[in-house]
Amino acid sequence: MTFINPLALLGLVAAAIPALLHLLQRRVPPELEFPAVRYLSAAERESARRLKLRHLLLLILRTALIIVIVLAAARPLVRMGGAGGGAHEPTAVVVILDNSPSSGVVVDGRLVLDRLRVIARTTISRTTSADRVWLMLCDGVLRRGTREALLASVDSATTGWQRLDLVQAVDRAARLVDAQPLPGREVHVLSDLQRSALAEGRAVVPAGVRVLSLAALDRAVANRGIAEVRVTEGAAVIELKGAGAGSASGDAAQPVPVTIRVGAGRRDRGEISARGLATPGSAVTIEIPVQNLSPGWWVGEALLEPDELRADDRRPFAWRVAPAARVTATAGAGGFVAAALAVLREGSRVRDGSDVTFTGGEALAGELSIVQPPADPALVGQANRALGARGVSWQWGGGATSTPGPISAPTLNGIAGVQVIRRYRLEQTSPGSGGSGGGSSDQSADDVLATVNDEPWLVRAGSTVLLGSRMDTAWTVLPATPAFVPFIDALANRIVRGEADVTTAEGAPRVEFRRRGTDTTGATVFGPDPRESDLTPAPKSLVETALGGEDRVEVLGDAEFASERFSGTRRTDGSGFLLVLALLLAASELGVATRTR
Amino acid sequence: MPWQPQVPAVPKEGHILAQRLDLLDPAEVARLGGIEIVAEGVVEGFLSGVHRSPFRGFSVEFTEHRAYQPGDELRYLDWRILARSDRLFVKQFEEETNLRAMILVDASRSMAWRGSPERLTKRAYADRLAAALALILLRQRDATGLVTFDEQVRQVIPPRVKAGQWTRVVRGLIATPDGSGTAAHAALQRLTALLARRGMVILLSDLLFDRDLALAALRYLRHRGHQVIVFHLMDPAEVELGGPPEVRFRDPESSVTVVVRPRELARAYADTVRREIAAWRKACRRHGIAYHHVQTDLPFGMALRLLT
Repeated sequence: MTFINPLALLGLVAAAIPALLHLLQRRVPPELEFPAVRYLSAAERESARRLKLRHLLLLILRTALIIVIVLAAARPLVRMGGAGGGAHEPTAVVVILDNSPSSGVVVDGRLVLDRLRVIARTTISRTTSADRVWLMLCDGVLRRGTREALLASVDSATTGWQRLDLVQAVDRAARLVDAQPLPGREVHVLSDLQRSALAEGRAVVPAGVRVLSLAALDRAVANRGIAEVRVTEGAAVIELKGAGAGSASGDAAQPVPVTIRVGAGRRDRGEISARGLATPGSAVTIEIPVQNLSPGWWVGEALLEPDELRADDRRPFAWRVAPAARVTATAGAGGFVAAALAVLREGSRVRDGSDVTFTGGEALAGELSIVQPPADPALVGQANRALGARGVSWQWGGGATSTPGPISAPTLNGIAGVQVIRRYRLEQTSPGSGGSGGGSSDQSADDVLATVNDEPWLVRAGSTVLLGSRMDTAWTVLPATPAFVPFIDALANRIVRGEADVTTAEGAPRVEFRRRGTDTTGATVFGPDPRESDLTPAPKSLVETALGGEDRVEVLGDAEFASERFSGTRRTDGSGFLLVLALLLAASELGVATRTR
Repeated sequence: MPWQPQVPAVPKEGHILAQRLDLLDPAEVARLGGIEIVAEGVVEGFLSGVHRSPFRGFSVEFTEHRAYQPGDELRYLDWRILARSDRLFVKQFEEETNLRAMILVDASRSMAWRGSPERLTKRAYADRLAAALALILLRQRDATGLVTFDEQVRQVIPPRVKAGQWTRVVRGLIATPDGSGTAAHAALQRLTALLARRGMVILLSDLLFDRDLALAALRYLRHRGHQVIVFHLMDPAEVELGGPPEVRFRDPESSVTVVVRPRELARAYADTVRREIAAWRKACRRHGIAYHHVQTDLPFGMALRLLT
């Protein structure tokens, strides 16, 4: 049994008052003359047993009365069956309030997030100080705090820009509540239950943990959203996503106008806009008049007509307008590199020149060098000395027998996973020392652009880029893959200059540039996860399966959710019953005390 | 000049009561004067009412029959009725001068108690009642005497009918101080020797002594042919127990104490008192003794009326 006001139990000490009064107040009674003492003695003899019983009964009643009143003041919680109101036993509960971008959809004139927030608020309001409550929003952070603090968090929660993976969220929440030594363990999922939020994996819910999920709205909402914007030579490729009931038919399947705006706010260059029609589920290419674009970084945005979900109606993009690199390749660079450069030269991605030099370990000549290990292992030492002479702090390690493995390159998606057969281990000779030719002093782990078996495989050190393997199919299958030419393009035009690709991230739509000194080396485009645009609700069976299994998960409507939360440990406040009992005891005490026979 | 009681003004409907001291509260009546005055006033009131003298004895004028009781003289048996109905009846006569009445007044310590200052002590009540009885008896020329006793016989005034006898009785009452303990049976046994000639014996006592021993003495008197009348005097506070929440009661005679909570014990005590009264009444009836329970707040006239 637990108590809402356990401090009141200190009052149980008062239960000793009747006994103490009985012992301490044994004063000498006044003495009076009374002739009929013989009658009195006879009456007392006859009533002695009854009087003793009566005194004992009074002591018990008075002590019990105090105990019952103190217990009532402590407000005990008594377990009760069935649904309904009342308090509950201490429960560890995680409230997952999915305020991801999709929760900003308006249904029947009301924000979905408002519905979720009301229920979250009610749940948290029903908790007591004996409960342990966490709140998880779309950022995945488990917030622990007082009831008031969590209510304030719920009240202040607005539609976020991050996608919430409900499977992972429930998995984490279930493990957290399972570790709590409390009688009740519940995870409350308050989400619009997009199918896309449950697509991957299955949450592991330990036995004893209840997962209560609010059912999705009955009807799907049609939605169109801009999933991705890519800028290629002179054109923006816009991928549109249809969602909900209209993905295949209806309004969502109709072509919709898309507007491209470039250079908004840059008065020095002027604003460029273009329009096109896009069909949900497909990509549309909209030409950008590049002749008006001067070299440098450009920012633009793609816009749709407003619909029920506004978060995905606008998506920014960024790209760099730059002249093609002037490249030359030595004989040691190999045939695959020469062939790739020929392709790039034909596509005007590179030009002939000596700004960037591809070598095979020979002496470094150009301003910017992309260096492969020599084909002859006997020349590795000479090549390392040449690197050292140029001030490069990296070199090839001894032997080309390092274990093969796939390439891991977070910033070079194209080559990730490509198998490497032979490689030299790249070793740093003097950490922190920069290379010649403009090598910066802030070289660090950022220079390791790709690894194989967690060992550096592609490294940029100042004006030099080192490869662990030769661009040859005897060393790696990369030259035989479609990603090879773009990889050589990236090496020549971007990587060797220390520039990074444009990356994307979740967040409020915006563009952030990465800088090194005064140079802009890359950009990150923020926007909602494209999967948020798909508002198709997950069927109940999928929700039950993904969130822990049919025996652990209950998908409930609003009313059922309200009655089922904490129902496993629901208890009622026993103080009312105890007060009635106290009244009965008081009446009994009064009756016994005033009854003289 | 005959004594005229000073009666306070009362409402009209209480006029009759106001004229009769025998029906007023004993304590109020007692405030009017000494024993003689009170007794005279009471008797005047009593006899001027509807009552006649309550006493009957044996004389030449036949009045009625009554059932034979052990101790009755056989010469007063009505043989004719016995012959006709085979039942024993004695003849009663209007006695004129030869009734010998002896009034026994318990003067023990317990009699000197009252439960409230507004009431008379049992002893004071007994004195006034005894004086009134004596006056009635002497007025109808019955020889009347007095015995006061506690553990011992204190005063003995032999029954006489001559002038000044009532004054002697009253002085005997006044001259008897409050005693200590009560061993009434011993005193009563001594009295049986004093009452050689049969007559009427009236005992005024709170009967707070051993019932069996006292009854033995009374039964002996009855056996000797005396008509025995017992007035069991009790203060109302002895009937209904009251007092502080917790109190130590001390017996004034034996000094025995007992601590009680009167409120708790009230009902049990009342039951005990009722049983005690019933036991006395039953025992007396069994032995042909007239028993009357009198509380000290009962008007004297009402107490006298118990004898009619």
